[in-house]
This record gives sequence, C-alpha cells and structure tokens, in this order.
Amino acid sequence: MNLKSNLFITILQLALLFGFYLIGVSIQKLFGLLIPGSVIGMVLLLVCLYTNLLPEQWVSKGATFLLNHLPLFFIPVTVGVMNHLDFFNGKSLWLIPIVLVSTWIIMITTGFIGQTLVNRKE
Amino acid sequence: MFLLQAMFWLIFTIAIYFIFTLLYRLLPYPFLIPILTCTVLLVILLTSFDVSYDTYFSGGKVIDAFLGPAIVALAYPLYKQRKLLNKYKNELLSTVLLSSMLGILSGYWLTLLFGFGEVIQFSFVPKNVTTPVAMEVSRMIGGEPALAVIFVMIAGIGGAVTGPWILKLFKITNFLGVGIALGGASHAIGTAKALEYGQEEAAVSSIGMSLCALCVSVLAPILINWL
Repeated sequence: MNLKSNLFITILQLALLFGFYLIGVSIQKLFGLLIPGSVIGMVLLLVCLYTNLLPEQWVSKGATFLLNHLPLFFIPVTVGVMNHLDFFNGKSLWLIPIVLVSTWIIMITTGFIGQTLVNRKE
Repeated sequence: MFLLQAMFWLIFTIAIYFIFTLLYRLLPYPFLIPILTCTVLLVILLTSFDVSYDTYFSGGKVIDAFLGPAIVALAYPLYKQRKLLNKYKNELLSTVLLSSMLGILSGYWLTLLFGFGEVIQFSFVPKNVTTPVAMEVSRMIGGEPALAVIFVMIAGIGGAVTGPWILKLFKITNFLGVGIALGGASHAIGTAKALEYGQEEAAVSSIGMSLCALCVSVLAPILINWL
C-alpha cells in the first residue's frame, strides 16, 4: 500500500515538473528567447519554491527521481554523434584535444579561484 | 516492425544504462561513467547493424522527453541549498563571469592558433554551455549548430571523465571550486557528475551551468564582434 501510494505521488510530481517544462518552452517560443525552455522552467520552479507558492514536498520525490537518473536522459542525444563520425578524421581530429584543453583551462582557473575566494571569506 | 524496433532500442538503452551504472558502482573509474560507456556501445552497435540514428531516436525520444523536466528538477537542490548560495553569491557570480569569458576566448584563440576556418571557429566558441544554448549561439555568430553539438558533447563527457583527475591534481576540493569547475566547464553532464560529489557541489554546479548559459549567450556575440 505504502509503495503504491509512493509511486502514485512520484508520478503526480513528475507530471508537475513536466508542466513547468512545458510552460518554460512556451515562454521561450513566445518571446523568441535564447535561453532554453528547460532553464526558464527551472527558474520558474525556483521562484515558486522561494515564494512558498509551491511547498517543497510537492516536487521533492519527482525531482529526486529525475536527478538520480540524470545521465540516462542524455544518452539519446549523445548517440547523435554517430551521424558525424566522418567529422573525426584528418585535421579535425585535433579539435578533440583542443576542446579538452579549453575545458581544462576553465576548470582549473574557476575551480582554483572559487576555492580561494571561499577560503579567504572564512 | 518499425514500432517494434523503436521499442527494442528504448528498452535496450534503459537496460544497458542500469547495467553500466551497476558496473560503475563496482568500479568507479571516471572513464566508466555510464553516459560514456552507453553512448560508445550504442554507437558501435547501431553503426555495425546499419541502424540509422532516426530509427534509434524513434525509441530514444521517450527517454529524451525526460531531459527537459530533469533540468527543471535542478531547481530543487538549488532551493535546498538556498542559504549557502545566498551566502556565496559574489563568489558565484564572479566565477561564472570568469568561466564564460575563458570559454569564449580560449575557444576563439585556440582554434585561430591551429588555423581552423571561421565556421569551425564560431561553432567551437560556445562549447562549454548546455546544448540548446550552444546551438543558438553558434547560429547567431556564424557557426554550424550540428558541429557545435559535437563540441558540447566532448566538453561535457570529456570534462566529466577527466574532471576528477584535474580537480585532484590541482587540489580543488572545496564545494564551490568543484561545483563551478564542473558546471561552468561541462554544463549539465558536469552537473550530473557534481551530484556524485554531493548536494552542495550539485547546487553550485547547476546554478553555474545556468548562469554561464545566460552569460555566454549575451557575451559571445559581443566579444566575437569585438575581436
């Protein structure tokens, strides 16, 4: 019984999160914004939680479920790389290490500065 | 037949995700993250059996439909950590700005240095932000969205795989340093990795990724025009 009602609550909360996503997408389309609809939906949900318009318990189970399986939801998009496999030959191959170097520059610099700023504050 | 194939790839993707997640729990090496192992296995299988991406995606889209709501769900850890984020808002905003500038400028100059043409260069610039934003930004500044997606994936998966080593090597252990490094450099895939570190890291990472997306969409056209 408990398991059943738990599942029911999670499904209801997932529907609510889908709703926020759809509203976000509509806003993005309506105003032709550059920001993705999912990020707009996230901001909207955050505002609703902050202003207590929506109690935390109404999304906690659904959100935890989605975040626990976040990597799964990326897979169908990342598999799209298969359409561009011919891109990875010759000189273009160099772009892979260049992406990594550029990404490491960001990680090291922001990680180090962020850590230093926090430590200095304390 | 088509529907059956779509169903098969849908179930197969979920099944290998759970198998590789289990494997990753037993052997937590960064290069065994499920998003990488599952993608590689699927690309190998699909290409060797001559299955098109469209056929795969007719099943995969069911999983893809959860991606948007999952990004929305990131508001929950942000809300849970609101006191912490509020306390460190200046540190967050300054590192977000730094992260966006570094991504754009290093991307621009590195591709220039290696003599890649403008189309590749402008597709390369927004690689450290989330896919939909990167696609739009690349289109705006004169790049090719399909190429931008490839670079976004390399930055995401590459960052999530190598991130733990890089962070250890440079002794970055603090929640804000780890969170901003992963979210700012490797967007949502980095944020999925940050969830493994903890709730505080994940909150910093998701706010970092969202603000960097905003920041890059504003800064990239301005900086590129100015360079």
